[in-house]
Amino acid sequence: MVKKIPIGPFHPILEEPEFFELHVDGEQVVGIDMKIGWSHRGIELLSEHKTWDQVPFLVERVCGICSASHPFAYVKAVEDLLGLEVPLRAQYIRVIVAELERLHSHLLWTGLAGHFLGYNTVFMWTWKYREPLLDVLEAVTGNRNHYATYRIGGVRRDLPQEEVPGILKMLNVLEKNNDLLTKAIVDDPVIHARTKGVGLLPEDKCREYGALGPTARAGHYDIDARRDHPIDAYDKVDFDVIVCENGDVYDKAVVRQLENFEAIKIIRQCLEKMEPGDICAEVTEIPPGEGLGVYEAPRGEVLHYVRSDGGNMPLRHKIRAPSFNNILTNEYSVPGNTVADAGLITAAVDPCYSCTERVGVLDSIGRRSVITEADLVRLSQEKTEKIRKRFTSR
Amino acid sequence: MEKDELKKRIKEKFGEKVEIAERSPGRVFVYAENDIWVDLASFIFNDLDGRFDTGAAVDDRDGVEVMFFMPFDKEHYYVTIKTFAKKPRPALESISNIITGAKWIEREIFEMYEVNFLNHPDLRPLLRADNRPEDFYPAKREVKEEHEMSRVRDDGRERYDEVHGKPPKGKNP
Repeated sequence: MVKKIPIGPFHPILEEPEFFELHVDGEQVVGIDMKIGWSHRGIELLSEHKTWDQVPFLVERVCGICSASHPFAYVKAVEDLLGLEVPLRAQYIRVIVAELERLHSHLLWTGLAGHFLGYNTVFMWTWKYREPLLDVLEAVTGNRNHYATYRIGGVRRDLPQEEVPGILKMLNVLEKNNDLLTKAIVDDPVIHARTKGVGLLPEDKCREYGALGPTARAGHYDIDARRDHPIDAYDKVDFDVIVCENGDVYDKAVVRQLENFEAIKIIRQCLEKMEPGDICAEVTEIPPGEGLGVYEAPRGEVLHYVRSDGGNMPLRHKIRAPSFNNILTNEYSVPGNTVADAGLITAAVDPCYSCTERVGVLDSIGRRSVITEADLVRLSQEKTEKIRKRFTSR
Repeated sequence: MEKDELKKRIKEKFGEKVEIAERSPGRVFVYAENDIWVDLASFIFNDLDGRFDTGAAVDDRDGVEVMFFMPFDKEHYYVTIKTFAKKPRPALESISNIITGAKWIEREIFEMYEVNFLNHPDLRPLLRADNRPEDFYPAKREVKEEHEMSRVRDDGRERYDEVHGKPPKGKNP
């Protein structure tokens, strides 16, 4: 008998609201329905009433964690419209801030995943390793999030040369800590048992659903906008694109951990290659036309499309966050797993908006019971504990 | 697939029903008539191995311009396919029966711009609040009188701007 379990619109592991309805047969999920839009703020329409230079301040608030990604893609869209070349120093600064953001976003996700699995030590330590990174972002841009760095034609402020030794020192320490975390994930048999084979999304389904970022690369779908559509200094640095095989939750975690090493490599190269120079090209007007900007955010490719009629505000501004594509993949990856795994699978795409506060259980004759947020996390942690006991009793 | 080969194959298949333009090294535009919209998307996605990224729409006086972005990652360029859904009652055939990833963007374009995607498997509003009027499409540049917000204060006092005039606008940087 199929029951429907509504989850949402608030979730214990994820940052923003989303509604899931799980269709379950016993413990097995046989279907899923998703509703989004709980955080809809009309940013695209707001943007059409801001001047071109005001829009970066607006779009960096699309997401609290990806607050370099959206303004980066937006300014590239306008620069595509203009056919503008940005000064070299500005290109390196943009990439440095963007990669620092990637590091802190991936570490944040690893911590939350650890908490949800019952590894609260991982949660605490990961977020502790993240703190010096946020301090560096504050020293370089003035804020831990919402950097107000990107502007059309370049960046708003220079990267002080005296900050560079501090950044390199932080990266050295972070690299060692990331190595520790990666080994903890890769070597732990309980994490293997809990996450391998869970929430599979193979390559053909990645393509069919338009999956992006680590969600796609975990399923061997080899796409990365930094390599495929390089912008600014990304064509001047060397890095590897991390791709795994199976597309399960384990692979998604491994991709994010290994990408941290690549981000550190990119930042070091940028700091080494950066020369003194201008940080912004002059822009006096935006002529009629359209432009497209894409950037590989921590969650996947962000796309901004702008159209101008020659005025001082965008005529049209389309924003597509990667989670818009990635959350849809839950349609394929959640059915066939258990209720305890459903939250973990939806969290594994690192959605930019999804929080479930409670689970409503509705049986076939209309009786309803509610499981709280704490119960849902407990359900997942209990499953991990059972697996751990199986291993320790051997 | 290289750009020149792509342009040639699209033109061979669709002839006069498409116009192809290349604006910069990274952008190819294909303007298509409505009746070949699905065939074109399917051809680029299935036959030419393009990737489906997302879509967008722009409201116009006479209709809604709908576009989908389909990159060719190995060759480092984007193909934008565009068509025009005429008002009143703009409609297009849905491509989500061929490209599953188009489901949600078509739902968004439908609820924002009133473009009816025919044969869409689930054309419900995606982002809309449950209490929003059914016939309200927020991104369209026309607003019905009955959807105008009430400008009367509920405490009986007069509105400031009706008494003193509108305050001056802030300085635009």
